[in-house]
Amino acid sequence: MTGLALATSEFVRQHVRNRVTLVMLVVIPALFVVFAASALGELSKSLGGDVTGSAATSLGAGWASAFLGGILGFFQVSSSRDSDRRLSLAGMGGTRVALARIGACIALSLLAALVAFFVLWADTGIDQPGRALAAILAFGFIYVGIGALVGSLVHDELTGSLIVALVFIMDIYAGPGMSGSSGTAKITPTRKSSEVLMSAVGGAAPSTADWLAVGGTALGALLIAFAAFWFAARPRT
Amino acid sequence: MAKHVDVLNGVDLTVRSGEMVGLVGENGSGKSTLMKIIVGLLGRDTGTIEREGSLGYCPQVPLVWETLTVAEHFALFAKAYRMDDDQMHHALDELLDELQFRKYRDYRVSDLSGGTRQKLNLAISLMHNPDLLLLDEPYTGFDWETYMRFWDLSETRRQQGMAILIVSHMITENKRLDRVQHLRAGRIEQT
Repeated sequence: MTGLALATSEFVRQHVRNRVTLVMLVVIPALFVVFAASALGELSKSLGGDVTGSAATSLGAGWASAFLGGILGFFQVSSSRDSDRRLSLAGMGGTRVALARIGACIALSLLAALVAFFVLWADTGIDQPGRALAAILAFGFIYVGIGALVGSLVHDELTGSLIVALVFIMDIYAGPGMSGSSGTAKITPTRKSSEVLMSAVGGAAPSTADWLAVGGTALGALLIAFAAFWFAARPRT
Repeated sequence: MAKHVDVLNGVDLTVRSGEMVGLVGENGSGKSTLMKIIVGLLGRDTGTIEREGSLGYCPQVPLVWETLTVAEHFALFAKAYRMDDDQMHHALDELLDELQFRKYRDYRVSDLSGGTRQKLNLAISLMHNPDLLLLDEPYTGFDWETYMRFWDLSETRRQQGMAILIVSHMITENKRLDRVQHLRAGRIEQT
């Protein structure tokens, strides 16, 4: 096994062995899809939006993936910054440590997205499962980037996790069909992913431009996460 | 905004092959800062650091991952040090015996006592037989027996040609050291 592959698998193991992480991987999607969807609909109504029924439920799956992605991204940097730097200085190098962290984030986000996807499928059914899974995964990747970026800039775990939570809440409030017709709301991180997810669950076909926007945002977020991981693990010479 | 503090000012320090040097100083004198700059964990404002050969670093606080096992740490750092599987297993066996923590081989760090964590911390820095070994308060948490074993282990490595720099606020085993350097007001004073 190469150093990169071993580091990636150990970083995955590092989080999967944490019981809280495992519980969250199961509980959060169920909570967001089954229980929070009606609250999301009520919130949308009170803000003048029109997200109800399967649209609210599908968004719940996306938000579950985003929430878990944000936590993973943040704590991948925050809880291991010094140990990762030691490994990097020992000869692994900042680039390989960052790539291993990205690999672990992708694997864990995929796991979170799959759980959210199956909960959504079991709860409401999905007309276009492949597209829905891709959109749910994009939510996770986008928040891995946000979480890792905050983790690299804010060293205090409480402050950092509150910032990630604040971005998350603002993103929900400004999501499509919630309140969002203003200019600023249209550039929120998961807007396109939300639109694609709702249309995939409802049977409509998202446009190529929408997919490109979703893919571009997710890829950009992973690049930001890579930079954040590298920044945290880099040698100071 | 982080507060800027001048800690080191004109430090000049050389450690040669086969030499065991102690670096002492009061709390806050900059010992760990100097160590981190040598290793590359902290940047420096000016000056140069020249190192030849491989480096081993044992930080004051164990820098390890809570949910990984002792053996997994060895495997991960072996890759970083570019050791093959045979070299890794040899180092693992040797250090588990030398530091007497073989029974914790498959324990997660979160299940280890402070002293055993420190053994792992030390073992990681030693496992590739570095040319220069930097030890920052390496015996914190050790019982007396392990403390004495640590000095024997260091002496063996020194005789094999390893250059060792040990940082502490107080070194009682001065006779084992070739030199003791004092860090005061950001400068080295030789004793």
